[in-house]
Amino acid sequence: MSEEQKKSKKKKKKKRESEFEFCAVCKLNHDRGRSHKYLPNHTKSLTNFLSRFLQKLSDVRFFLRNPALLRPEHASRNRLWCVFCDSDVQELDSLFACGNAIRHLASSEHLKNLKDFLWKHGGGMDRVDAFRVSESDFTKWEKRCVSLKDTPAATSNGRSYGPSMGPLKDIHTDVSSDNRDSFEQSSSQCFISNVSNGFLPLQDFTRERIQVSQSLVHDSANSSRVQEEAAGLPVGMVGSGNFMKGLKANGDDQCLMDHSINSSHSRTTCSEMVHQFGRNVTGNISDPVLQSLTSISLPMGEASGNVHSGAPPPWLEGNGDNQLNHASISGFSSKNSRKTSKLNPKRVGAAWAEKRKVELEMERRGELVPNNLNADWLPNFGRVWQFGSRKESRKEFETEKTKSVTVSNISETPIKLQPYVSKRMRRNDDGRVGDVHSEDAS
Amino acid sequence: MSYLLRTLTKKPELDHAIRDTIDKVLVLRFGRASDAVCLQLDDLLAKSAREVSKFVDIALVDIDSEDVQVYVKYFDITLIPSIVFFFNAHHMKMDSGTADHTKWIGSFQRKQDFIDVVEAICRGAMKGKLIVNCPLPPERIPRYQLLFKDI
Repeated sequence: MSEEQKKSKKKKKKKRESEFEFCAVCKLNHDRGRSHKYLPNHTKSLTNFLSRFLQKLSDVRFFLRNPALLRPEHASRNRLWCVFCDSDVQELDSLFACGNAIRHLASSEHLKNLKDFLWKHGGGMDRVDAFRVSESDFTKWEKRCVSLKDTPAATSNGRSYGPSMGPLKDIHTDVSSDNRDSFEQSSSQCFISNVSNGFLPLQDFTRERIQVSQSLVHDSANSSRVQEEAAGLPVGMVGSGNFMKGLKANGDDQCLMDHSINSSHSRTTCSEMVHQFGRNVTGNISDPVLQSLTSISLPMGEASGNVHSGAPPPWLEGNGDNQLNHASISGFSSKNSRKTSKLNPKRVGAAWAEKRKVELEMERRGELVPNNLNADWLPNFGRVWQFGSRKESRKEFETEKTKSVTVSNISETPIKLQPYVSKRMRRNDDGRVGDVHSEDAS
Repeated sequence: MSYLLRTLTKKPELDHAIRDTIDKVLVLRFGRASDAVCLQLDDLLAKSAREVSKFVDIALVDIDSEDVQVYVKYFDITLIPSIVFFFNAHHMKMDSGTADHTKWIGSFQRKQDFIDVVEAICRGAMKGKLIVNCPLPPERIPRYQLLFKDI
């Protein structure tokens, strides 16, 4: 029957569109009309369908909570297929990771499509919020994005140095704003200050030397800029591609691009590069260039440390217990997912097992939020001299615990009171002691 | 030997182990990895874990961990190693002729003894019994002196 349907799918669709329709969830044509969505097969595939999309959304939600800048090289991979709108959300032109996706999920168009989908395929209209981004979240995200954009400007004391500030701060935290001021005064001074801070470029020594020669040639304001930008060059190793893209956006120096792509570290190339770049910046201090540079160098400024500054890699940092927890939980759930059909219904804790199984299954599908247990949860446990049901021993233990807490409180207080000597006694004894006491009191 | 088996050091982990082990016997070994008897028991548990894996989950609990002190107190753990059995989040007792029915105190003499004990518990639990008799002969059950407080 189903094969026949498949064979004559197209024909039937054209001829009897009113009767046959395609269910995107089950991926089949049917003529059941509205009643199709109540079929068990449909509900099953719908939960699968939605849980798969929920998983993808969880990634997006991560970036909603902590927005991050999107590197241009990652932009092509960061995309989302919205199953409700049947559209592919690209991120090629967005500054932030999942930016377009978040904007799409918050849009009214998406909400409309989502409601249509849920109405057509079932699945509960109360779950609308799980598949979209609420307006309050969206505004919060936007605010964070704005602050993320502004951070470099804020750190550079409101000057337009922004771009190179991030990486500089990252590695040499002791390059303070005082040194910045000296940059403007004279170029030679600024180099001295760099040396005193123990500044060594990570890539090449030659660059540093060339920078100096360049900066000596230029006039003071010019050279400070050169120094700034060139100092940003060797540090921003990872972001160098972006850096060049920023230059490309300016569209002035193609030869510069070529040089950098060849990544020739020869003296002449570097000097040329710095020289040209210096001219470039001083020639037209246009906002677009600076803005694009700002945004790209940001991730480095944001991070607390990187490979070059000797910070521990993220997979070695904290959260170890969390991962452990997850691993143990997942291990348990996978083991328990096996079918145990022929078990004695009167076995110990049969009702519990059934209940818990359903809960675990729902948690796995993402329908039920895994509720964090009460920290005081304890299993039933029959104690040695316990009599009666095992729940009673737990209650007994809990009362014991509260008692012990109160007892310890009481037992602590008398110890404090014991060394107490009355004020009158102290005054009679010695003036000094009284003074000390008054100090204590004050 | 403790590194061969899952070691639980936090109360939430223990909670999850007890709650999420469904239709299987959960064996919780309370002890200290450096203790001599514990070492012997851990070795035995590790060796038999695979053989009984269809109906038993074994987890070690480090009693020195601060976060599990609630459980140590609740289960009245006074001697180590102690083994507490759970089935579907229900505590399983075993009458082995010793003072404490609520847990198995001490080690087993051989691997087969442990397997027999957990099998007896699993069979009893499947029949709906909350307490089972020990299948081992008395000479292979470790003896100990239990001092009861407040009694």
